[in-house]
Amino acid sequence: MPQVIIDGQTYEFEGQHKLLQFIQDLGKEVPFFCYHPSMSIPANCRQCLVKVGQFVKDRETGEYETGENGEKVIRWFPKLQTSCNIDVADDMVVHTQETDELVRRAQKDNLEFILINHPLDCPICDQAGECPLQIQTYKYGPEGSRFEVKKVHKPKRVQLGPRVILDAERCINCTRCTRFTQEISKTDQLTITSRGDKNYPTTAPGREFDDPYSMNTVDICPVGALTSADFRFRARVWEMNQTPSIDITNGKGCNIDLWTRDNLVLRITPRFNEAVNDHWMPDEGREAYKLFNENRVSKPHQKLDGEQIFSSWNNAIATFNEQIENHDKNEILIVGSPHASVEENYSLSKFANLLGLNQPVFTTHSEEGKGDGFLITDDLAPNTNGCRLLGFTELDDKALKKEVKKSALVVLLSDHFVDRGILDESDLDEKFVIHFATNNSETTKTADLVIPITTAAEHAASYVNVDGRIQRTLPAKETKYTNRRLDLEMSEGRLDRYGTNFDNWVTEDNKVDCLPLWRFITETAENSGLDLTLSSGREILEEIAGQFKEFESVSYQSMDESNGIQLNLDAEKRSDKVK
Amino acid sequence: MSTVDWKNYEPVLIPDIKDLHKIDVYEKNGGYEALKSVLKEKKKWPDPKSVVNEVKEANIRGRGGAGFNAGLKWSFMPPADGKPRYLACNGDESEPGTFKDRKLFEYNPHLFIEGALIAAYAMEITTIYVYIRGEYKVYIDMMDKAIQDAYDKGYIGKNILGSDYSVDFYVHSGAGAYICGEETSMLESLEGKRGYPRVKPPFPAQRGLWGRPTTINNVETLSHVPAVIKNGADWFKGIGAENHPGPFLYGISGHVNRPGVYELPSGIPVLDLIHEVAGGIRNGKKLKAVIPGGSSTPVLRADQLDGITMDADSLRTVGSMVGTAGMVVMDEDTDMIDVLWRISHFYHHESCGQCTPCREGTGWLEKILLKIKNGDGEVKDLDLLLDITTQMEGRTICALADAAAWPVRHTINRFRDEFEARCKKSVHALA
Repeated sequence: MPQVIIDGQTYEFEGQHKLLQFIQDLGKEVPFFCYHPSMSIPANCRQCLVKVGQFVKDRETGEYETGENGEKVIRWFPKLQTSCNIDVADDMVVHTQETDELVRRAQKDNLEFILINHPLDCPICDQAGECPLQIQTYKYGPEGSRFEVKKVHKPKRVQLGPRVILDAERCINCTRCTRFTQEISKTDQLTITSRGDKNYPTTAPGREFDDPYSMNTVDICPVGALTSADFRFRARVWEMNQTPSIDITNGKGCNIDLWTRDNLVLRITPRFNEAVNDHWMPDEGREAYKLFNENRVSKPHQKLDGEQIFSSWNNAIATFNEQIENHDKNEILIVGSPHASVEENYSLSKFANLLGLNQPVFTTHSEEGKGDGFLITDDLAPNTNGCRLLGFTELDDKALKKEVKKSALVVLLSDHFVDRGILDESDLDEKFVIHFATNNSETTKTADLVIPITTAAEHAASYVNVDGRIQRTLPAKETKYTNRRLDLEMSEGRLDRYGTNFDNWVTEDNKVDCLPLWRFITETAENSGLDLTLSSGREILEEIAGQFKEFESVSYQSMDESNGIQLNLDAEKRSDKVK
Repeated sequence: MSTVDWKNYEPVLIPDIKDLHKIDVYEKNGGYEALKSVLKEKKKWPDPKSVVNEVKEANIRGRGGAGFNAGLKWSFMPPADGKPRYLACNGDESEPGTFKDRKLFEYNPHLFIEGALIAAYAMEITTIYVYIRGEYKVYIDMMDKAIQDAYDKGYIGKNILGSDYSVDFYVHSGAGAYICGEETSMLESLEGKRGYPRVKPPFPAQRGLWGRPTTINNVETLSHVPAVIKNGADWFKGIGAENHPGPFLYGISGHVNRPGVYELPSGIPVLDLIHEVAGGIRNGKKLKAVIPGGSSTPVLRADQLDGITMDADSLRTVGSMVGTAGMVVMDEDTDMIDVLWRISHFYHHESCGQCTPCREGTGWLEKILLKIKNGDGEVKDLDLLLDITTQMEGRTICALADAAAWPVRHTINRFRDEFEARCKKSVHALA
């Protein structure tokens, strides 16, 4: 097998590898800025210089030439090479900054150059704390500056587009952003303008950077040149908790990280998953942080004399049971939701089954033509396939309206049908409407009983995306009834660990008074004497895995191990064949 | 030391013939004969390969500055596969001190066209581009006319001169960027992109214009080809210096009595070139310094020039290069700090900004030199300048960083006294 010697260590390899990636995959490090594994390699930052050579072989005999002391002769490249664009080859000898003074010197020199015209405004820069330039300067850079003349001045605070702001002075011209719009989002909206040390990325004159994926450029910018218009100056990165999760704004289920501080989701960034979204996500998914923070239903609400008022959980449970009992089973319509998780939908249907009610129905939420074949889908809900796999009856909008008209008690989960124009307020006038909801809307206003439930940011639950991949969320923010220190799935940031309730950054109001749907159903069952306990998402999914063939191999454990699991959507057909 | 007999040299690139730029005049003086010979004399030129071999044998070293054997470069082209492949002619000459190609565009465009056509035929190329710097608007128009005339006469186009070889020829105008004279950024520019040099490998012969095999030659280099075909490789090798043979277009500028472009053999003593060809230093002043081949080649002091001739080997012994043979002559009144600042200003202005060391380094060099020029420099700044040049050299994609670094390093080293005299004494007490 071909071999390469890096810093004196011999490694075997197969296939084609770029040296920088190869070194990284070994868990070693070479500093770099412009290289990105998902894009073309321009080799323009010149930071990843290493010394590269090759053992000399005699052309005729194929034997290694040896020197006086019997060691193999190495022919070094006359110049240092950028490791990002050089292919790993057999008999290659590489010296990185770890073993070579010249390489160390070259990397330091390069950082000195990068920093001479950089504003060095880390204290007020949003990127500080997660900035490759900052990190690598501390590790490999010079200690001071010998630059005693005037820095170049460039445009600052330029609103490139609705969501991205440029500070051209911070830019190090790595061209990651322009390559992103050329190669990944394919809108070609960004380009580099001007020459030499005056150049910076910008849009064509009079054009906006309104690429639906524009905010990915903020993520890949290795400095603070591109910042999010929304997030900038909101928080320092080291103050936040980072929790892995799933994008719930469309059917793709992009893997994301939720960044929270004091139980508010402050930003959403993509998390690498080669099988789903690579390093990217659409801008729309990032706007979803507002769903978790704003306009939340907190505390149950009940209609009294036509007006919604706060209620207590006991009262809500009692009312819920009372209404179920008081209605004829055929008059009760339970509507599941593709916006809710597999576990929530299952809990609802299990409850319905125990009471002998009809199987829940559901209706898809999609917008034809919205999808772009990349990460934006027609499907606007994260779990349409989950509802299908649970065997819910799929109704179109008209059929749903008809069903609602026939019933006297309607239980809605998450879907806001009035806001979507599928139901009119008049359709629900004469009925008793129970709505399990996360956010306030026109639909919750019409409901007779509104039960606040947890969002994807507050519970662990799973969603099946358009391609049939099941992936799960983790709780990122606390509710009134959860606690970071007790729930081992929750991340605990510096402020959580070292803060107290007397610190001015702690706001109890950010904890929403809501329960996971399964918890509410368990309490309701207990109240009415039903034998039903649904304790956590993890256990519910185990139960589902035991009942449904498609979910056979699925557990939280296995999903965590492989970043989600691909389900076979035609499992039924497959089992037929096996028979 | 030199035995080159330049006084009796008969020019072939820019002979003294009236209206040579007109195609009829060019034809009357033996024009397009070499092309006809290559296409029709099957005995002499059995296949395109034989043309490549003849040119390789002649050792026409690239006149764009790098001095690489043109025929050898041609032989790097992979075998023709029926898909497009290109010849890109580099007429972007933008380096301060260089103005030789324009002489060809103006006085003898058809010689260049003929050379390019032979080159294209030799490499089985069917599309030729000539990239001319945008400031040469007049010459771009002249080239357009010349190419049109050649089309009309059947030298370019379908089945030229009745052979089964077809070729197209396009003029492409630059837009004012020095960097587009670098071969790979010229390709980017031809493709309509920003003039950023490409990472090599892959070399243009493997993946050039639009990803297809491409050869890039300087305009003057190609203009030597017809004469080599007519007179043979040995004739060419017999002219001028042994390892750097052939006629040169010397562009002499600066403080001389008769600046201009002179066609003479390579390997002429530098001092002969200044004192005899260019008529000596203006106003009877003394010679102080010479930049031998365009602003990026290291400057030479007058006392370094004894016995030095204009070819790569001789100039290497005193630490310089022949470059494009665009010589800048400076008399005793020249302020070297001013000269160096002006050169650095040029490279700062022209750095494309792709690679960090060049983008930041060129600006830093210029700013320090400006400080010294204004009398605010300190002696330590000179050492910083030298440090910066080592930090830039050899660490970028293309050679612009080297071209910017060399003049600074060598001018300071060779005129250190003058620079130190301009600097303030260090304000820090020595420990």
